[in-house]
Amino acid sequence: MGLQAYLILAATVFCIGLFGVVTRRNTIGILLGIELMLNAVNINLVAFSHFSGTITGMVFTLFTICITVSEAAIGLALVILLFRVRRTVMADHLDLLKG
Amino acid sequence: MMSDPAILALVALLLPAASFLILAIVAPLRLLGRPAAYTSILFAAGSLAAAIGAWRGHAEQQVTRLAWDWLPSNGVSIATLGILADRDSTLMLILVALVAFLVQLYSVEYLHDEAPAALGRYYTYHSLFAFSMMGVVLAPNLLQLFICWELVGLCSFLLIGFWYQKPEAARAAVKAFWTTKAGDVGLLIGIILLWRVAGTFDIGELRTLVTSGAIPVEGLSLITFCIYLGAVGKSAQFPLHTWLPDAMEGPTPVSALIHAATMVTAGVYLLHRTVFLFPPDVLMVVAWIGAFTALLAAVLACVQDDIKRVLAYSTVSQLGYMMAAIGAGFSSAGFFHLLTHGLFKALLFLGAGAMIHAVHSNDLPRMGGLAKTMPQTAIVFVIGTLSIAGIPLFGGFLSKEEILGATLAGHQTGPFVLLMTVAFLTAFYMFRVVFLAFFAVRATHASPLHVAAGPANHLRQGSGGPPKLQAKPEAGHYDGPPEAGHHDTPHDPPAVMMLPLWVLAVLSLGVGIYSTTLGHFLQFGPGAEGAAEHAAPGWLTPAAVGVAIAGIGLAWLVYQRRTIDAGRLASAFGPIRTAALNKFWIDDIYEGILALALLAFSRIVGWIDRYLVDGVLNVVSAWTVSAGGLLRTVQTGRAQDYVYGVAVGLLILILWMRWALT
Amino acid sequence: MTLSVVAFWVLSVLLVGSALAVVLSKNLFHAVLWLALALTGTAGVFLLLNAEFLAAVQLLLYAGGIITIVVFAIVVTERLIGERLSQTSRGLGSGALVAAALLAVIVSILLQRQLPSTPLPQTGDLTRMLGEQVLTTYVLPFELLALLMLAAMLGAIYFARPEE
Repeated sequence: MGLQAYLILAATVFCIGLFGVVTRRNTIGILLGIELMLNAVNINLVAFSHFSGTITGMVFTLFTICITVSEAAIGLALVILLFRVRRTVMADHLDLLKG
Repeated sequence: MMSDPAILALVALLLPAASFLILAIVAPLRLLGRPAAYTSILFAAGSLAAAIGAWRGHAEQQVTRLAWDWLPSNGVSIATLGILADRDSTLMLILVALVAFLVQLYSVEYLHDEAPAALGRYYTYHSLFAFSMMGVVLAPNLLQLFICWELVGLCSFLLIGFWYQKPEAARAAVKAFWTTKAGDVGLLIGIILLWRVAGTFDIGELRTLVTSGAIPVEGLSLITFCIYLGAVGKSAQFPLHTWLPDAMEGPTPVSALIHAATMVTAGVYLLHRTVFLFPPDVLMVVAWIGAFTALLAAVLACVQDDIKRVLAYSTVSQLGYMMAAIGAGFSSAGFFHLLTHGLFKALLFLGAGAMIHAVHSNDLPRMGGLAKTMPQTAIVFVIGTLSIAGIPLFGGFLSKEEILGATLAGHQTGPFVLLMTVAFLTAFYMFRVVFLAFFAVRATHASPLHVAAGPANHLRQGSGGPPKLQAKPEAGHYDGPPEAGHHDTPHDPPAVMMLPLWVLAVLSLGVGIYSTTLGHFLQFGPGAEGAAEHAAPGWLTPAAVGVAIAGIGLAWLVYQRRTIDAGRLASAFGPIRTAALNKFWIDDIYEGILALALLAFSRIVGWIDRYLVDGVLNVVSAWTVSAGGLLRTVQTGRAQDYVYGVAVGLLILILWMRWALT
Repeated sequence: MTLSVVAFWVLSVLLVGSALAVVLSKNLFHAVLWLALALTGTAGVFLLLNAEFLAAVQLLLYAGGIITIVVFAIVVTERLIGERLSQTSRGLGSGALVAAALLAVIVSILLQRQLPSTPLPQTGDLTRMLGEQVLTTYVLPFELLALLMLAAMLGAIYFARPEE
C-alpha cells in the first residue's frame, strides 16, 4: 500500500480523536480522544519514515510515545486531583474561566 | 495731491478719534469726569473749526480725494481708506461737528450730577460717535462707509444704554441695535453684490461706470433695494421704525445728537450719495415707504404724552419726508431738508431737555405755563416749532416746500397727498406740545396725577387736555438724570445749556430768512441727481403754508382756547386713536413673531439634540454594550469549546489556503 | 492481493472501528477497552511498516501502561456507569460536522498529491540503527526526555498524595 493509504488512515483516526475531544463530557473521555490523536500522529511519522528510507521518523515516534506517556500520567493525576476538589469530572462544570 | 481743504477735512475727522483714543486709553483722565468732558469738547471745537475751513475750501463742484491703499490683492488694492470731500460732504461734516460740539457743551450742565467715571465714559462714547459719523460722511467707498456705519450703530447702542442700570434703557439699546442690524444685513449684501457687478467699492468709480453705461441701472434693482434696507434700519423707516421711540431712554442730549441730526440721517445721506445707482422702480418704493412712514409717525405723535416721544415720532416723520424726496428723484431736496431738520430738531430736543430738567418729568400733562417761568426756552422752542411746521422765514419752510414740489415734479401724486396731510398733522401735534407745555395752566402737585405704574384707565384732572387711556404705564416716566434735590420752580437753564440753544435757534432762523428771501437754497455739489431746481407750481407755496397754519389753528382751538373739546375730538377718531396708543401693535407683532420663531426653532433644535445627537450616542453605546454581551458568550470557560474553536479555525485556514491562495 | 494489502485493510478496519467505539461508547470503561484494541491495531500497523521495535514499545507502553493508569483513574473517580450518549457527549452534530469536514479536506489534499507508493529500501537491523541514532545523534533529546519523565513522575506523585 502506498504512503497515501497510511496517511489517509492516520487522518481518519485523527479526526475521530478530534471528534471525541470535542464532544465528550467526561474529562477522562477527553483524554482518551487525545490518545487517539497522538496515535494517529505516530502512524504518520512511522509511515513517512518507512517510505523515505530513513529512520528519523521512528526516532521521532519513540520520543513522542515517551512524552505521551508522561502527559497521560500527569493528566490523569490532574483529573484525580480535580475530582477531589470539585467532586466532579464533568467538563461542563469546569467553567471558572467563563466570561 | 494733498490740498488744504482735504487736509482740513481729514483733521476734522481725526480730532474726535484722537479724543476718543486719549479718553479710552488714559483711564485716569476719563475717570476724573470733568476734565474728560473738557478734553472732548475742546477737540470737538477744533473739529468744527476744521470742518468749516474744509467747507469754505470747496468751491462749487470741487471734489478732493485722499486715498490710501488698504486691502492689497493681486497687486491692486480692493479697497482704499480715505476721504472724499465735496460740497455735500463738507456741509454734512459741518452739521455733524456743530451739533456734536453743541451737544457736548450742553451735556456738561445737563449731566452735572453724574458720577465722574460715568461722565468720562459718556464723553468717550461721544468722541467715538463723532469720529464714526464723520467717517460715514467722508467715506469715498462703500466699504469704509459700512465700517463707519457699523461703528455708528455701536455708539448708538452705547449711548442709548448709557444708564444701563435702568432695565428699560438696556432693553431699548439692544432693541435699537438689533433693529438697525436687520437693515445692516441688507446693506452688506447690497454692497457685496454691487462689488460683484461693478468690481469696485469706490463711489466715484461707480458713478463713472453708471454714467458711461457700463452698468445698466435697471439690473441693479435688487442690489439697490438691499442698500436701501440699510437706510430703512438706520433712518427708521417703516417697518424698522420701532427702535427710535424706545431709544428715548437715553439722555436727551444724546437724542438730540443721534436721533435728530446725525445718526438717523446717515441713511438719507447714504441714499443721497448712491442715488445714481437706483432704478425707477426702487425709487418708487423708497418714495412710498417714506410717505407712509411720515404719515404713520405723525398719527402716532398726536397721541403721545411724553414730550420726547413726540419728538421721536416727529423725527421719524421728517425722515420719511426726506426719503420721499429722494424717491421722487430730487435727492438734493431731501439733503437740504436733512440739514435744516438737523438744526431745528436738535434745537427742539435740547429745549425739551431744558424743560425736562426743570420739571423733572417727561410728561406733557405735568408741564404747563412754562412760558412765564422759562421765557428764553419758550422763545427758542417756538422758533424750532415754527421751523418744523414750515412757516416762511423759518428754517424748515423752504426745504419742506422743496420736498413737496419734488414729489409733484416726480409725478408721485400719492406720496404728495400723504405728505400734505402730514404737514397738517405736524403743525398740529407740535403746537399741541407748545400750547400744553408753555401756555396752558400748569398742573399743581395736588391734582391726582398719574405717575409711573398706574391702572390701565384713569381720567386726569387739572390742566387742560383730553382724558387719556394709558395703555402702558410709561407716562410720567422720567428719563433724565437721577434726582439730586432740585428746587421746585422751573426756570431757564443755566448759560452753558442756553448757549447751544441760542446758537441753533439763530442758525435755524438765519437759514430760514436767507432761503425765504433769496428764494433758492444753497447750491449743492455733484451729489444731486436730476435737476437741482425744479419748477414748482405756483399754488404749492400758499397751499403748504395754508395747511400748516390750519394745523396750528386747530391746535390753538383745542388746547389753548378749549373751544373744541379735546375729548370729543379724540372720540371722533376713536379706533385710530386706540390703535395709535398701541403703536398699531407693530411692536407686539414683532415680539410675537420673534417669540414664535425662536420658540419653534429652539424646540426643533432641542428635539434634534435630544433624539438625534444624544440618540445617536445612546444607540451606539447601547449597541456596544449588547455586542459586548453577545461576544461574551463565546467565552464559555470550558476548555473543550476552545479546542473546538481551534479545530474550526484550522479548518478555515486549510480551506483558505487551498482554495483562495492557489 | 498480497498479504500486506490484506493485512493493511484488516488492521485499518480494526483501528477505525475501535476508534469510533472509543469516542461513541456510553460506558467509559468500555471505551478504555476499545482504546486498548485501537492501540494494539496501531502496533500491528507499525509491524506492517517494518518498525518492529516501535510495535513492541507501543504494546508495552501504550497498550499496557496507559490503559492501566486510565483504568485506575476511572476507578478513583466516579461516573463509571454509562447513561445515554447525549448525556455523556454534547454537540454531537456540530462536532461530527467539523471532524468530517477536516477529514474531507485533508483527504482531498492527500489524494491530489503524488506520493510514493513503494517504500525506499532500508537495509540493516533497524533496531540496532535506532539505538545507535538515539544515543549519538539524538542523545540530547534522549537525556531531556529522561528529565521530562522524572519530572512527570515527581509531579504525578505529588498530585496523587493523600490530602492532609
